[in-house]
Amino acid sequence: MIEARRLSKTFGSVSAVDRISFDVGRGEVVGLLGPNGAGKTTTMRLLTTYLPPTSGRAALCGHDVLDEPLSARRCVGYLPENAPIYGEMRVREYLDFRARLKDVPRSKRRPAIAEAVARCGLSDVKNRILGHLSRGYRQRVGLADAIVHDPPILILDEPTAGLDPIQVREVRALIRELGERRAVLLSTHIMSEVEAVCGRVVIIARGRIALDDRLENLRLDNTHLIEARGPAEDVRKVLAATPGVASVRTLREEDGVASFELRAATGEDPREEVATRLVANGWPPRTLSARRSSLEDRFVDAVTRAGLMGPETETEAG
Amino acid sequence: MRHVPALLARELNAYFLGPMAYLVLLAFQFIAFLNFWELVDALSRPQGEYSSLRDPMNRYIAESTPFWFAILVAVPALTMRLLAEEKRSGTIETLLTTPVTEGEIIVSKWLAGLIMYGALLIPFALYLPFLYYQANYHFDPGPILGLGVGLTTMGMMFVSIGVFFSALTRNQVVAAIWTFVTLFLMVVVTHLLAFYFAGRQQTRSADAARHVAILDQIRNFAMGRFDLRTIALHLSVCVFVLYATTTIFAARRGR
Repeated sequence: MIEARRLSKTFGSVSAVDRISFDVGRGEVVGLLGPNGAGKTTTMRLLTTYLPPTSGRAALCGHDVLDEPLSARRCVGYLPENAPIYGEMRVREYLDFRARLKDVPRSKRRPAIAEAVARCGLSDVKNRILGHLSRGYRQRVGLADAIVHDPPILILDEPTAGLDPIQVREVRALIRELGERRAVLLSTHIMSEVEAVCGRVVIIARGRIALDDRLENLRLDNTHLIEARGPAEDVRKVLAATPGVASVRTLREEDGVASFELRAATGEDPREEVATRLVANGWPPRTLSARRSSLEDRFVDAVTRAGLMGPETETEAG
Repeated sequence: MRHVPALLARELNAYFLGPMAYLVLLAFQFIAFLNFWELVDALSRPQGEYSSLRDPMNRYIAESTPFWFAILVAVPALTMRLLAEEKRSGTIETLLTTPVTEGEIIVSKWLAGLIMYGALLIPFALYLPFLYYQANYHFDPGPILGLGVGLTTMGMMFVSIGVFFSALTRNQVVAAIWTFVTLFLMVVVTHLLAFYFAGRQQTRSADAARHVAILDQIRNFAMGRFDLRTIALHLSVCVFVLYATTTIFAARRGR
């Protein structure tokens, strides 16, 4: 539904988004994560046709954002950062205005607004003036606006910013529900939000994709910590030669005990084989444990790596 | 242009739900009242044969300093927020991500400004029936119609200039100042230039300056000289400025 291909945006000499490519399909909720200034908002603005890309292509429901911007906009519901709204209008009036702009036919407008109001929990405030609403309610009005024309794609820039914990829970449930038959792309800094809502994570750092993977793969721990008494270099070679091991890194060697970080190949668990081989070589293992890496660790890891690698390396995400 | 009614309705609501529209209207009502008072006062005095009152509409509107002063202040005040405010508050992002074209947005903003401008002139028209029926002063309706058309096309041009500067910036004050300066050049400076050239016996330049001076144009309308060239000038400037605004607005998305 959302396709981005080598999408770039530069502002003068500053490269905000640099050749990013990803897809979001129907029924997927994708979290766009990244440190501040990584290019999350710019990416979303490129996808919603608010900004024209410097190079690359993007398409929503098959409509190119440059060639057919109006058709592309018709199939997306967008919640911009901070949910800007007209302060002098009333909630119902605002949603009616937005529905008219989004070409919701006159006969369907009333039920569409009623549904958006109900889904976003705005029934109590639907006749209030927007400027008098609290931050949380404004955010929900923005969300109601995004879904009022029942778009197949939703792009939400920090949808839960400014909400209280109960509202956050409601909005997350709503996003999960909306994501069942739509393509949803949302940005956030909150890791627990990603774990609660998203099926896939795209981490961007310095305008590039640092990581793009399904959440369950990220949770899968394939890193093991190994300590054994023996000469570090020899042990490392044996470990590296073990089937199912992708890479081995020596952490330290103290008092004849060497410790290693062992990364297993995807879907393999070489722990038993490793223990057998260590014992066979006369290096008794002292520790053999799976390291649990949280999403936060992966995030920090991906962002730091992207920062260290510099601009020349293409990332694994394609 | 299918979205224009919705955009226009919102824009007019925003005008009339805020205090600005009423303040400006009140100021215009007050000026219209003073001018009318003065006009009635002048008309009730015995007349000389070559009195300026042969063209009462000139006395009432076209040569009235408060009227021009109010127009020069009111047009920037009404147009400054049209786009600058949307840019500052970020609502422009919500507007430009719906299936609405830049042209529709600019035209709606311009129409909203024009309707407000028209509302400002209503107080002046309001008094005239009293003069005609109540005071039995049977002035010629021709110059009034001509003046009405001239002031309308002038307003179309002025409001398009206001929208243009509002589209360039996110700061309302900057938009207002640029609009004021431009209108001042068009109304006052061109008129002074005509005097300057005439004083130096440069009749061609003086004629040219007089032709583009808004003050002289409107005075001609009020005297009953219905000059289609002036109308054409106003309308072509208006269309050109709106076109330029749309193009620049589209090219400066997100800035």
